[in-house]
Amino acid sequence: MSRARVFTARQAFTALAIVLAVVLVALLVYLYFYLRDGGIPQPQATSSPGVESVWELYGPGEGDLPRFDGPMGVAASEDGRIYVTDSGNNRVCVFDTQGRFQSAFGSFGIAKPSQGATATYEPGSLNYPVGLDLDDEGNVYVASFYNDSIEVFDAEGMPLRRFPDPSTVVGRGGSGYGGTGIAVTDVAVHGDRVYATDAYQVVVFTREGEFVGQWGKPGAGAGDLDHPNGIAVSDDGQVVYVSDTNHGRVTAFTPAGEVLWQVGTIPEGMDDRTVGELQLPRGLAVDSDGSVLVADAFSFEIVRISAEGEVLARYGARGVESGQWNFANDVGVFRSFTLVADKGNGRLQMVRLTR
Amino acid sequence: MRATKGRRTHLIVSTRRWLIGGILFIAMLGVASPACAYDETGTGRACVECHGSDTPDGSESSGPHGGYTATSKKCATCHSAHKAPADGIVLLPAATVLATCQTCHDGTSGQGVYGVIKARTGVDPADPAEAGAAHRMLDTETDPITAIPGGDSTGGGSRPATFSGTAGGLTCSDCHSPHGSNVVDPFTGDRARSTTDTAGLDSASGFRSTRLLRQRPTSTDDSYASVTTYGSDWCGACHAGRLSWHELYNHPVEAATTYTGTGTAFTYESVARLTGVGVSTTELGTLGRNNFGYVMPDPRTDQQRDHEPICQQCHEDARHVGDVTLRTVDTTEVFDITALDGSAAGDNPRFQVFPHESDNDAFLIETDNDLCLNCHRQPSG
Repeated sequence: MSRARVFTARQAFTALAIVLAVVLVALLVYLYFYLRDGGIPQPQATSSPGVESVWELYGPGEGDLPRFDGPMGVAASEDGRIYVTDSGNNRVCVFDTQGRFQSAFGSFGIAKPSQGATATYEPGSLNYPVGLDLDDEGNVYVASFYNDSIEVFDAEGMPLRRFPDPSTVVGRGGSGYGGTGIAVTDVAVHGDRVYATDAYQVVVFTREGEFVGQWGKPGAGAGDLDHPNGIAVSDDGQVVYVSDTNHGRVTAFTPAGEVLWQVGTIPEGMDDRTVGELQLPRGLAVDSDGSVLVADAFSFEIVRISAEGEVLARYGARGVESGQWNFANDVGVFRSFTLVADKGNGRLQMVRLTR
Repeated sequence: MRATKGRRTHLIVSTRRWLIGGILFIAMLGVASPACAYDETGTGRACVECHGSDTPDGSESSGPHGGYTATSKKCATCHSAHKAPADGIVLLPAATVLATCQTCHDGTSGQGVYGVIKARTGVDPADPAEAGAAHRMLDTETDPITAIPGGDSTGGGSRPATFSGTAGGLTCSDCHSPHGSNVVDPFTGDRARSTTDTAGLDSASGFRSTRLLRQRPTSTDDSYASVTTYGSDWCGACHAGRLSWHELYNHPVEAATTYTGTGTAFTYESVARLTGVGVSTTELGTLGRNNFGYVMPDPRTDQQRDHEPICQQCHEDARHVGDVTLRTVDTTEVFDITALDGSAAGDNPRFQVFPHESDNDAFLIETDNDLCLNCHRQPSG
């Protein structure tokens, strides 16, 4: 026969009140962390090293084009708008931090037709948009690659301006079609400066589009570039990080173009078996701690490089599962989360990197 | 259970029920609170534990186009066993071969191939109603390219062919080996990449590459063996009916398979080319990175005698060559590349990536009589 304890009603009520108070406190703590992260769902562990998955999406899920076609660029505003260049569909899609589709802007338009073809460009037209970035007012700067210029939109997607004029020579020259404009793959905005990658150089403008300067050239020297596909600026504006894609390296420059450090080495042909720190670095972003996250499309990793140029960690693996990538082309940062333009899988992922 | 003692009501609860209730309460918290939820790892972990990592590591040679050995792990760069996205053909990362190639070769890393056609013209190469470029890739089920113009080595007309793309249509891997296996010998061409051409734009040596061209493109005419040297024979592996002395087309074209002279047949790397500006002397050398091989002086030099032009001396990126009277090259017609990707309007040739981005009709370097007069004298009567 089990022992029984006798409780008064008051004791029982007190015990219940304590339990409910504990539950209430726990709930309030949970709500605090939930709201602090903008309502973002809790990350879930994956089989991918160092990666927890928050969500993934394959497109707006509605409209005439419900799915992405090779998303290549991603950036997030401080108020939680996530912009993705849907490159093959020539548009930018906007989502909230929970992955819900908000809007899209941009449509196909040819600014520089080849002989015999017709120009169809209108303000706001895009032609294979690749990288993008935001200024401190929330305006969106989109690298419209095949139109050889940067399209600028406000936060709602209304076109504001474009620069450079794709029909004019930029500074000492660029790699746009016919030698005018720039073959821009990515942009980075800091203060009043817009840094844009061209095929063999970085070109600098003001936010209004006034040419400021350029640096870089083809070659195998320290600051030489070969089709850079990523650019980002440190929070203090003193370092410009460039993903020197075909050279398999990331280079840190001063804003004037002087080399600070480089990570990675140039491969010598397709049979080069030199162990490379980076294989095909594409888009990159500066994380909240000042380190740089780089999407390495050929090693199928997100690589973290310190502000001093030291490889700190590698995340992810090849695949189609959550937290895996397939020729990832860009990374973005929102608070403690990382956004990945997972081009080969046709999706955008929000993840948390755990080490 | 309740018991009433005096005016107070007591709750009598057994220890067992306390324990059960406590456990249930803790379990409720665990289920209800995401912060304490059970973490379930993603799928695929068991596979990786048994099969090991399928991720290429940094010790592999650069990129997917070479360096394959029995111990390398490069296959996984492009092929995904058991989990290829988009139902990729041969487990490729994209649905088609063309889309796979365009994962990288979309122009953003240079050497752009097919994105430029739609970007510059609005014409979708995959749209059968559109013309696109002359050597376009479709790689779709809609109107695939399944015939080779001049592919009939006997009659000279078109030959039906089954290629390796979607619905048997022509695709990238029919001409290019993505693995870098059984490819032609390196040749100079007109392009250079800064990765290996450290002298940059002024390099005299140029950059020699196989361009991953197969020695034997798929669906070649059975009468042709593998081609190790780029030249007319490579074109003739498919367009056999366009080589010299076939029934339908008999414009002289020099190829090893049809050469009847006493010397060695010309190839891309060995043609008789002018030795400089405004001269009529020739030397043997590559057709690439100069315009001197696109003009034949009259009278022919000893090096040219018993030789005919190769395909590429007429079919290449558009350029300006040839003084119509002297049939030499003048200072305005020299090879002049001011940007490595040939995007400068004044470059000569102003190429992109022959042939895929070339938009000159039939890839003829010049048009109309200007082309003929590169080799033939003006009529005197």
